[in-house]
Amino acid sequence: MRALYAAATGMAAQELNVQVISNNIANLRTTGYKRQQVHFQDLLYQNLRRSGSSTSDQNTILPAGLALGSGVKTTSTARAMTQGPLAQTEKDYDVAIRGEGFFRIRLPDGRTAYSRDGSFDLDAQGQMVTRDGYLLDPGVTVPNTATSVTISATGAVQATLPGQTAPQALGQFQLARFVNKVGLESIGDNLFVETAASGPAITGLPGSEGFGNLQQNYLEEANVNAVTEISSLIAAQRAYEMNSKVVTAADQMLSTTSQMFRG
Amino acid sequence: MQNALFVGVSAQAALARELDVIANNMANVSTTGFKARSARFQEYLMPVASADSFQRSDRRLSYVIDQGTPLDLTQGPVEPDGNPMHVALRGDAFLAVQTPQGVRYTRNGAFELDAGGNLVTSDGYAVQGDGGPITIGQQETGLAIAPDGTVSTNLGIRGRLRLVTFANAQALKSEGANLFSSEAPARAAGPGAHLEPGALERSNVKPVVEMTRLMDVNRTYTMVSSVISRLDDLRGTAIRRLADVA
Repeated sequence: MRALYAAATGMAAQELNVQVISNNIANLRTTGYKRQQVHFQDLLYQNLRRSGSSTSDQNTILPAGLALGSGVKTTSTARAMTQGPLAQTEKDYDVAIRGEGFFRIRLPDGRTAYSRDGSFDLDAQGQMVTRDGYLLDPGVTVPNTATSVTISATGAVQATLPGQTAPQALGQFQLARFVNKVGLESIGDNLFVETAASGPAITGLPGSEGFGNLQQNYLEEANVNAVTEISSLIAAQRAYEMNSKVVTAADQMLSTTSQMFRG
Repeated sequence: MQNALFVGVSAQAALARELDVIANNMANVSTTGFKARSARFQEYLMPVASADSFQRSDRRLSYVIDQGTPLDLTQGPVEPDGNPMHVALRGDAFLAVQTPQGVRYTRNGAFELDAGGNLVTSDGYAVQGDGGPITIGQQETGLAIAPDGTVSTNLGIRGRLRLVTFANAQALKSEGANLFSSEAPARAAGPGAHLEPGALERSNVKPVVEMTRLMDVNRTYTMVSSVISRLDDLRGTAIRRLADVA
């Protein structure tokens, strides 16, 4: 019975939907997290009576056909790369991006990863690193004598050094942007790597058009909206339940069929 | 008496198909731009032999056949999600998509950009604009889609989405993957068709209706089945009684 399998694909799809929603809710407080959204598509149809086939020799045609679908499939769990709200942290090395760019992070294996999480710290050598200790690319080194470090909206890092009145330039942030940032691959730890779908990274300075500018002492929160996620969760759970009712009904009809024969 | 059995079986076959339709609708209750189908039954009159030689003319037999699964083309609920690349269609228009098999039509406005900057569906098929595919350059930002389908960036207008309608939308064939194909040519949509940017059109499946039909189908199937069983009992009894007489 086709109905059993169609309803089973529906249950599987809603189970995946709940998984994605629960991951979004779990990352409600993850810095720079971008929520995922599941996209579904209907599966192939079997056309038992094709619409448009002729019904007589008088050129009358069938206005609507008889087509039976076979369920649903998941196409993508695309990320919504919209801006998350900025939250003030009052930490000098916390930087948020307002705009489309990504921070460039050098991974220990030499690859470059991209991130919206700007919660940086200094390592023992005074280099700016992520919470996992990965270096910012291009690197910024802050001498241990430096005070009042400022990061401007255009990414210039300046600090006051002892014995000098004018602030000294310590480095410059660079951002990366992508034609299709939805195509980036998540590797966990708030990091993304480029793929064939995202296109190559385009590097530029903060403040130039399309890259967005920086905001020191702020962090970008997740763009997850708790109310939307909870209502999607309710909808997904009910849809799962209703698909299971279809399975039950198909089962009952099969059982009715087998009971017709009393021997 | 055999005929009565066959009438019952024709009803059961049709009901089993209707269950398949309901199952597909319920499975697609979260599919973007999905249009529900319903099952439509028809009475099929069995042509009978002329019965002048009988005392009473033959009764005409009414079988059931499932004649079609018409599309429910009503508007699905529009859910805003703030993604500038998502559009929900208002009105009876469809968006045109270029697939390797030819032009297909869809109500699913969950678009993305590919690595070359082309506006594509989630399967990577190019979305048709009025003047060919819509491409965004690498340096362009601020992509926005206006309610009339105009796609623009910070560098100006980049094209307009091709909105089409059909004289008989019921003749559209479901191809799966949220796509429809049409043998009749599509025509440009009128001014009534417009887009809702930053939103998606949800499936127009109405769970309450589907669940009610599910119960209805289930019970009707059981009833027909019990009719068939009774007929079978009747026949068994007849055979026994006739044997007694002999």
